[in-house]
Amino acid sequence: MAASKASRIGEEIWKTRIDKVNAELVTLTYGTIVAQLCKDFEDDYPEVNRQLDKMGYNIGLRLIEDYLAKSNTMKRCSNFRETADMISRVGFKIFLNITPQVTNWTADNNSFSLVFDENPFADFVELPDDGRAQNELWYSNILCGVLRGALEMVQMQVEAHFISDVLRGNDTTEMRVTLIRYIDDELPPEDD
Amino acid sequence: MVVYSFYIFDRHTECVYVKSWMPPQVPGTPAPVLSTGSDNAKLIFGTVFSLRNMVRKLGGDDDAFISYRTGQYKLHFYETPANLRFVMITDTGSASMRNVLHQIYINLWVEYVVKNPLAPVEHKGGAGVNNELFELGLDQFIRGLM
Amino acid sequence: MSYYFAIVGTQDNPLFEYEFGTSKQGGDGQSRFTEQVRHLNQFILHSSLDIAEEVQWSHGQIGRGLTGGGSRNGRYLKCIDKFFNNYISCFVTGGNVKFLLLHQPTTPTSTASSRSSTAIGANPTSPATEEAIKMFFMEVYDNWVKAIMNPFYKANMEVRSPIFRARVAAAGRKYL
Repeated sequence: MAASKASRIGEEIWKTRIDKVNAELVTLTYGTIVAQLCKDFEDDYPEVNRQLDKMGYNIGLRLIEDYLAKSNTMKRCSNFRETADMISRVGFKIFLNITPQVTNWTADNNSFSLVFDENPFADFVELPDDGRAQNELWYSNILCGVLRGALEMVQMQVEAHFISDVLRGNDTTEMRVTLIRYIDDELPPEDD
Repeated sequence: MVVYSFYIFDRHTECVYVKSWMPPQVPGTPAPVLSTGSDNAKLIFGTVFSLRNMVRKLGGDDDAFISYRTGQYKLHFYETPANLRFVMITDTGSASMRNVLHQIYINLWVEYVVKNPLAPVEHKGGAGVNNELFELGLDQFIRGLM
Repeated sequence: MSYYFAIVGTQDNPLFEYEFGTSKQGGDGQSRFTEQVRHLNQFILHSSLDIAEEVQWSHGQIGRGLTGGGSRNGRYLKCIDKFFNNYISCFVTGGNVKFLLLHQPTTPTSTASSRSSTAIGANPTSPATEEAIKMFFMEVYDNWVKAIMNPFYKANMEVRSPIFRARVAAAGRKYL
């Protein structure tokens, strides 16, 4: 499916089939979760990243169904490039109203970057200035988990992690997504 | 049109939901004995899984297995990209139920089961699908068709 | 004209302070507090808190902006106190956090008086000055709300954000 068509679908669904919610409510809710995790794990940021990823994973497992139901595209993507376009132009569009750029493909088409020009989770956020958060905390790490969970449900095992974040003072916010393998259909257990 | 039974299988090939709407026995006509025991569920899954694979092999990856018909019943199949499989068994005269199964997926399954935050994501033994809203919605929807 | 700006929390605890000078009429934005009085600023400012509270409650209608100065649930109390040549203006947010601005007009020397009389702040209680300070407070208030929306900020915690500091500085340059 062409990228422009994906954009159209995303736009269409966003306009007609999505219940909207106040953006600040989302921002503050997510912020509270991250802040609370930091508190609960006593500023063990790598652990907070892991927890966020895990929460995202559990969201992704469900969110994919909503995505499939709303997008009505009951066909599999024919390749990983198409998957990337659908993630950005339909998935992110309908759930967060953003379309991160899909870029920096590797030659084997198995790995790409999502560059976030805007990130509704990160409005108002300044990382704690304890000298570690800037280097250790990936504030929006929940998104990695969401992608991992959602793609696993449609039989793609991927690895996703952030490699830069404007909150850390980087120029861009960039997530790296790598396809590890397509998961085979599970077979019914052999009857004895 | 009569709907006899309805099955949902998850991506782990497990049957997570069964329901049957057995018609009252009409004297003189042998009603198809389509019990919904667990052996039947296994049998049905084995059948649709093989048929689906065969269909793809012959018709290409984009081809989909939709239904088959016997002298007694018609079996309808619908699979989502997340490998959730819906099976419905009706009388032989019914039209394609593909759209019906799709509607069940988006309007009942996603809305009531997936979006219930307290239900588990995976439904081992059908545990999480024990859901009143889904149950009611499905029953209403199916009875509306009959 | 020199300014000392402080934000005081609901427990009368200081949350933020910033010192700057006028940028209008060719001012260089540097404060001209002498070393002797600089450390007094904090005392002067905080001693006016009582008056701020008095003014705040005397109007009866809290947080409704009825004094004409406020909007969006913040209230501008204008110039509430004076200590020798130091004037204190106050703004109370809906959450009962007080913005206090101490402004100290440069002591008019005989030669400069005619020229500086038109400058904002030369007459600390003139409507023009009141308006300028109000604009300053409103802009700081906007940025203040953004700063405390940071999930890592806890109520009544000192604001250390360099971004907020820069924005206060910008507001100071823009209006004062």
